[in-house]
Amino acid sequence: MKAQLELLRFAWRNVLRNRRRSLATVIIAALGAAAIMIAGGFALYTYDALREGAAREFGHFTVAHREFFQRDEETPLQYGLENYRKLSAALEKDQRVTRVLPRLNFSGLISNGDKSMVFLGMGADARAEGAARGVFLKLLEGSLFGGDEPGAPRVLLGSALAKSLNAHPGTPLTLLTTTVEGSMNAVDVEVSGIVSTGWPEIDKRLVYAPLPAVQKLLLTDKVSALAVYLEDTAMTPAALADWQARDSIHTFKPWWEQAFYYQSVRALYNRIFGLLGIIIAVLVFFSVANTLSMAVVERTREIGTLRALGALPGEIVAGFAREGGLIGVLGVVIGMALAGLTTALLLGLDVQMPPPPGRSEGYPLKVYADPTIYAVAASVIVVLCIVAAWFVSRKASRKTIVEALGHV
Amino acid sequence: MNAPVIDLRGIAKHYRMGDSDVPALQGIDLAVTRGAFVAVKGPSGSGKSTLLNICGLLDGFDAGSYRLDGEDMSGLDETARTLIRRRRIGFVFQSYNLVPVMTVRENVEYPLILLGMGEDQRIARVAETLALVGLEQLAERRPDHLSGGQRQRVAIARALVKSPALVIADEPTANLDSATATQVIDLMRGLGARHGATFLIATHDDRMTAHCDEVRTLTDGVMQ
Repeated sequence: MKAQLELLRFAWRNVLRNRRRSLATVIIAALGAAAIMIAGGFALYTYDALREGAAREFGHFTVAHREFFQRDEETPLQYGLENYRKLSAALEKDQRVTRVLPRLNFSGLISNGDKSMVFLGMGADARAEGAARGVFLKLLEGSLFGGDEPGAPRVLLGSALAKSLNAHPGTPLTLLTTTVEGSMNAVDVEVSGIVSTGWPEIDKRLVYAPLPAVQKLLLTDKVSALAVYLEDTAMTPAALADWQARDSIHTFKPWWEQAFYYQSVRALYNRIFGLLGIIIAVLVFFSVANTLSMAVVERTREIGTLRALGALPGEIVAGFAREGGLIGVLGVVIGMALAGLTTALLLGLDVQMPPPPGRSEGYPLKVYADPTIYAVAASVIVVLCIVAAWFVSRKASRKTIVEALGHV
Repeated sequence: MNAPVIDLRGIAKHYRMGDSDVPALQGIDLAVTRGAFVAVKGPSGSGKSTLLNICGLLDGFDAGSYRLDGEDMSGLDETARTLIRRRRIGFVFQSYNLVPVMTVRENVEYPLILLGMGEDQRIARVAETLALVGLEQLAERRPDHLSGGQRQRVAIARALVKSPALVIADEPTANLDSATATQVIDLMRGLGARHGATFLIATHDDRMTAHCDEVRTLTDGVMQ
């Protein structure tokens, strides 16, 4: 053990032999480690935000008629849920479930008397939806409505749709849609509020209307599906599995099977950050290899001496690997400090990222200090440094001793 | 009868220079008994270093046989040769070849670390050897803070600390002034006798040959 410490000490002194060169290499290793940690932390934050956004939008899982996701409906609500109240009550008994929101999807025309627009609507309890979706449904004007309010039905409009119809809270509008029987029906509504989902394409068409009013309009007592919200997104797989095992009549679909944006962004970011990681790894590898190859050349005679004294080639390589490892560890420690500092700075500063493709709103630039990412990045950098040291020293360690001793 | 530590018979060695073979050693016979202090003289290019490299297992040979302490050294692979060097052969180089990042103590200790010797035994052995070469006060100094004579004493301590059967010394006094060279020669002789080590020394230095038990001369790769 003591002998190993001695050898480690020799390696450390060798690292200090050319301080400027070693410092430059340590800095590159540190920047590489920090870059991987920060990029990984940012990706994790983004995945987390997208996951929460998707889970809040769709519910942690959706319960629907068995055919609902399989086939197109020939008439509205052909595959709707009939006894949804009973099912909802059963779901609410599950302690993991925080809320069950019935939703009824419908579409048609919305008119202000002068202009008509196509809308994609949802019959729901807007207050409950707002509570479930939190920051992911932004109320820009007016107020949300409850599930069953007296008087003329009140609706929420997507911001772009409201702009097109020149609608504001209190503006009267008419909704025209097809009933479940295939006939046309209309209802006069009043704008309760203007909302933004952050998706311009959705905000152009979005209408939220009270569920009872929509059921009355469509001449049905069905809903399209139930959105089930859990205490924690992490509970989804277990809760989903339980309910799938318990109920074979309905389809239970988790949020991730509906969140195509989340899947595609994640796939894209994985590729981008994966490529970034590879570039960083290559830079660190060549930087350490360059530094140590210079050291190997300078110390060829010393290598010959150690070999003459009885050191095996593997022991010479191990010496350089220790040096590479020390450079890596030092780089990783500094890199962790840099990444931690950057994370803390971003927590304190309100730096906004530009809106991602297809969205109208940016999001705060935050970075997670994730122990797994830190551990993986640290291991990768240290291992790379050791491998680079092994790579450059193995040839020199096998040079003939006479040749090595004669090196000038 | 005292069995030879080095027993060379008909050793030949060639180097390739382009398309031609250049003979470095031709039919060398040499027997060096245990504890002997033997010098090999000869002009530059006579093959002294090649002979020492073969005896020190730093290099192979093309023909002949070499027995070290009665054991046949022919056909050994590099690992086997390294392990024999580690246990049984010490080296003293003309330019000392101390490791600059190691202190005097660590330079002397390194061969014992390679041998896997326990810490207590290492400490005792190093302290004893440094005392014998008179460097115990300089144990924590780095080689670049030592004079040439002191460095060569460290190299001698490093060669002898593991009590090797054979010490190979290539021009050990070439870089030293007269007084220091004499001290180094006396030291080598004294420690050699104490450790029972056999010395094979390549030298041009008459001060050195004057102290040797036997002096052999090499000319153009042939032992006279």
